[in-house]
Amino acid sequence: MELFTPDFGLIFWMFVSFGILFLILWKLAWPAILKGIDQRADLIDKGVEYAQNAKEQLDNAHQEAEKYITEARKQQADMLREADKMKNQIIEEARGEAQKEAQKVMEQAKVSIQQQQKEAEQAFRDSVSEFALQIAQKVVKQEMADQKAQSKLVDSLLNEMESKK
Amino acid sequence: MNRLLISLTLALALIAWPLYAAEPKGDNETLEIEDASGHEEETGINPKEIIFEHLGDNYGWEIPFSHTHRIPLPCIVRAKDGVWYCFMSNKVQSHEHGLKFKEYNAGDDVIFTIAGPEDPHKDKIVQVIKNPDGTVEYYRPRDISITKNVAALWISVILVAALMLWLAGWYRRKGYKAPRKGLGAIEVCVSFVYDGVIKPTLKENTPRFAPYLMTVFFFILGMNLLGLIVIFPGGANLTGNIAVTLVLAVLTFLITNIFGTKEYWKEIFWPDVPLWLKCPLPIMPLIEVFGMFTKPAALTVRLFANMMGGHMIVIVLTLLIFIFYLMSPAIGGVVTVISIIFSVFMLVIDVLVSFIQAYVFTMLSTIFISLAQVKGHEHKHESVGKAIEEALV
Repeated sequence: MELFTPDFGLIFWMFVSFGILFLILWKLAWPAILKGIDQRADLIDKGVEYAQNAKEQLDNAHQEAEKYITEARKQQADMLREADKMKNQIIEEARGEAQKEAQKVMEQAKVSIQQQQKEAEQAFRDSVSEFALQIAQKVVKQEMADQKAQSKLVDSLLNEMESKK
Repeated sequence: MNRLLISLTLALALIAWPLYAAEPKGDNETLEIEDASGHEEETGINPKEIIFEHLGDNYGWEIPFSHTHRIPLPCIVRAKDGVWYCFMSNKVQSHEHGLKFKEYNAGDDVIFTIAGPEDPHKDKIVQVIKNPDGTVEYYRPRDISITKNVAALWISVILVAALMLWLAGWYRRKGYKAPRKGLGAIEVCVSFVYDGVIKPTLKENTPRFAPYLMTVFFFILGMNLLGLIVIFPGGANLTGNIAVTLVLAVLTFLITNIFGTKEYWKEIFWPDVPLWLKCPLPIMPLIEVFGMFTKPAALTVRLFANMMGGHMIVIVLTLLIFIFYLMSPAIGGVVTVISIIFSVFMLVIDVLVSFIQAYVFTMLSTIFISLAQVKGHEHKHESVGKAIEEALV
């Protein structure tokens, strides 16, 4: 069987060819290729590590920012609440003041009304008495006979007027 | 789309070429077969002849779609008188008139020709020595001709070297950038072999043996795949040739034993077994020494048989078409379709086998080398390695 008997020429050339290929690849190809692959793997590892770190930092930053934001919100809420309280207080105070003022004004008004009333009464009384005096003068002029009876009448008339009021 | 077209064309050529090559072409062919086999009134087709011609070596290289022309290759032979002669193979080969060979006078009455079918050196170059008494004697010279297989070997070497230098150049030029497409695929293979096979098995010895093992892997892969391309740059049944696989296996054997540790030799000649197994009669050492040689033998035969088998099946499937056509054109038509479907299927499988065989050869070489690297306290590792080896063998 010729298929199972190795041919000398082919063995010879196979040794030579393989030797040459081996030398070429050993010196020129494999070190460069393996080094290249390794270096790239290292670079990728480093890159991933860097990215992870960056992501962690970013996460931290996010958390910090959130913390600040919540703090600020709380402060804002506090301030608002305080302002609200203050506002209420001021309103309350103003209201009290206003009430007091109003009361004062009312009282003053009352006093002045009373005074005016009194004045009016006085004026009225004065004019009434003037009228009465005039009437009485007239009556006196007309009837000077019975003076006693006349003054008694005048008095009673005046009393009547007073009670009517 | 372009690639699809190219691969389709290639696939068609792959199928069509053996048809052309094997097709009997009228009277010329019948003449040749009569001449070659000596049988008269043959059916016009000699499957055995065709199969062995395609599996074996040749002094010329077939031109696709031509049965009468071959690419001549240089023949380098040493005549009986010790002088080296170099001539082109078309001086001794002939395909034009049905004759397979012709005589060539290289000068000084040194005549070369190709041995006929009755000669023990059938189809090889022989020197014709005409004795004074009229008898003719054939002498087989030392023959280191650049045959089809040697030329294919060189093409593989150039291809593999070019691809690897290209990849190495990429790293020099582009630094950290990852290669894409073709180079990326080669890089995947490199890291598949290096990180997947060599590094986990050899561990700290990796830098020492990796260059050899990687070269073996890519060389075998290159030869396997080139062998599947049926037309000119490929088509040689290289890894299906026992000489090629033998050289590779011998190299692995040499490296295994030259770099073997003391512990390795101790385990061969004085293993850890009961004394009676090794002292008066060296039973275990004998088995171990025998084992040293079965390893390269297994390597040789596995690659050789697998690749040759693949080639043979495709050729036989193709030949079936012609055998059945001679019986009846109707059956032939049916068989053509079936046979082509199976051929394509087999070629696809052969692509897979090409890769697997290169992988297996490299992996077994790695394991054999790592087994010879045992150190005193590593019996555990060794037993794991042996288990893997047994599972694979």
